[in-house]
Amino acid sequence: MPAANAITPPVQTPVHATRLRTLQSLGIFCGFAAGAWLGGAEAPIKLVNPDISPITVSLIMVLGVFLARWSVPAFIRGTAHVRNDVRQAPHLIVWAVLAGCMWAVANTLTIYAIRNVGLSIAFPLWNTNSLLGIFWGFLLFNELHYAGWKRWLGVIGGAICMFGGATLLAIASSHQAAPGKAALGIFAALGAGILWGTMYIPYRKAYLTGMNPLSFITFFTVGELATMTLLAVGYRGATPLWHELVSARAVLFWLMLGGFVWVIGDLFQQYATKYVGISRGIPLSNTNQLWGLLWGILVFHELRGAGHTVYAQVAGGSILMALGAVAIALSSATAREHSSWQDAADREGKRYGVEGEYVQAGMEGREMQGRAATSAGRTMIDWLLILGTTALFAVLAMMAKLPQMEIGLGWGIVLALAMLSLLATCGIALWRTTRFR
Amino acid sequence: MTTPNPTDRAPRNLFLRVTTDVHFWIPLCVLLGGLILLDKLS
Repeated sequence: MPAANAITPPVQTPVHATRLRTLQSLGIFCGFAAGAWLGGAEAPIKLVNPDISPITVSLIMVLGVFLARWSVPAFIRGTAHVRNDVRQAPHLIVWAVLAGCMWAVANTLTIYAIRNVGLSIAFPLWNTNSLLGIFWGFLLFNELHYAGWKRWLGVIGGAICMFGGATLLAIASSHQAAPGKAALGIFAALGAGILWGTMYIPYRKAYLTGMNPLSFITFFTVGELATMTLLAVGYRGATPLWHELVSARAVLFWLMLGGFVWVIGDLFQQYATKYVGISRGIPLSNTNQLWGLLWGILVFHELRGAGHTVYAQVAGGSILMALGAVAIALSSATAREHSSWQDAADREGKRYGVEGEYVQAGMEGREMQGRAATSAGRTMIDWLLILGTTALFAVLAMMAKLPQMEIGLGWGIVLALAMLSLLATCGIALWRTTRFR
Repeated sequence: MTTPNPTDRAPRNLFLRVTTDVHFWIPLCVLLGGLILLDKLS
């Protein structure tokens, strides 16, 4: 086959200092918004009867995730942009599907973790994924290269703080769960953390190459749904699984809503990863631990009846983790470090034959030259996706029932409003700065 | 081993480029480990 002569070698020019600062601030903001939405997404799981198998719970959540990962991009930019991105970097389909498979397995593990050690304990344990993210970012993608000792101190010090916080919370877990169960829950949560921490390798590959997060997630979710369906059918059997899904119709809405909310958080996390890298983006989005703690304590009364020591351990551990995340957030990339990211982007572009202008435009958060004029708007397929998803959620909401459990509804509304405020402000900032590039 | 041509975008060549990228094997191995852990928990 003849070489595609339209592809120009990736030669990158440094991003302008002002633009770089703007993108870094945007990435940090996205990281905090991701934390709020990822934290809120776990709350609906608590509304679900514990008799339902964790794998079935995960499958239903992933169905909601799948719908969100197609309908949200269709709503924001239209799926025509996805086709354009795939033409530029078709190899990323493989990476996206692989990442999706990892997400599905990790998500199933978190359900075992939540059931065995509780939301407020499980969260910080799987959030140790940030340590792994920093490691992969440094090793594979030139993150923190030429960063200077202050930034190294911020990132490593922050990571140690987060590890200390996670350890404190793990100790507190022995007060919450029955003996034997705690160990299983901790293994499940740490396993999820390793999977998620490594899942950021495909993320970073995609965003260094210039792909739009809205395009990446559409293929990512194919891996998620395929893996979850195989796991669910494999472990439960097709007929028992179907019966369980039918009997769970009253909670389908809550679980799929959890998946939908997760996707909003994950989308912000993807933009954070794109603009500040995985070594900063992941710790920032891991502030979801604090949101999870708020939901767990204020809305679901998780630590009710626990002694002062347990409260002190959970609160102290959470604060320590949050401080670590802040230290990392304040250690944003310098122009010199950013130029080493561009070296990694060059390497990816050369390996996979991606057009230089596409890679450069992606790093600068702008439309590729010549693309803006040819970009199509929303098509009939996009509207079908949006309307179909909305209709399905409306039907499920009519079938849904609130479980018989004590819920702090007032606090739930306050937290939901705070999440919506972050969605609006960060969404506007993304639109103004990058047009969701 | 065949060296993949970076400008050839045929599916076979793309697949070769992905599988000869050492980065690919890290997440794949972690995924397999996760599946084993899940099997122990189920």
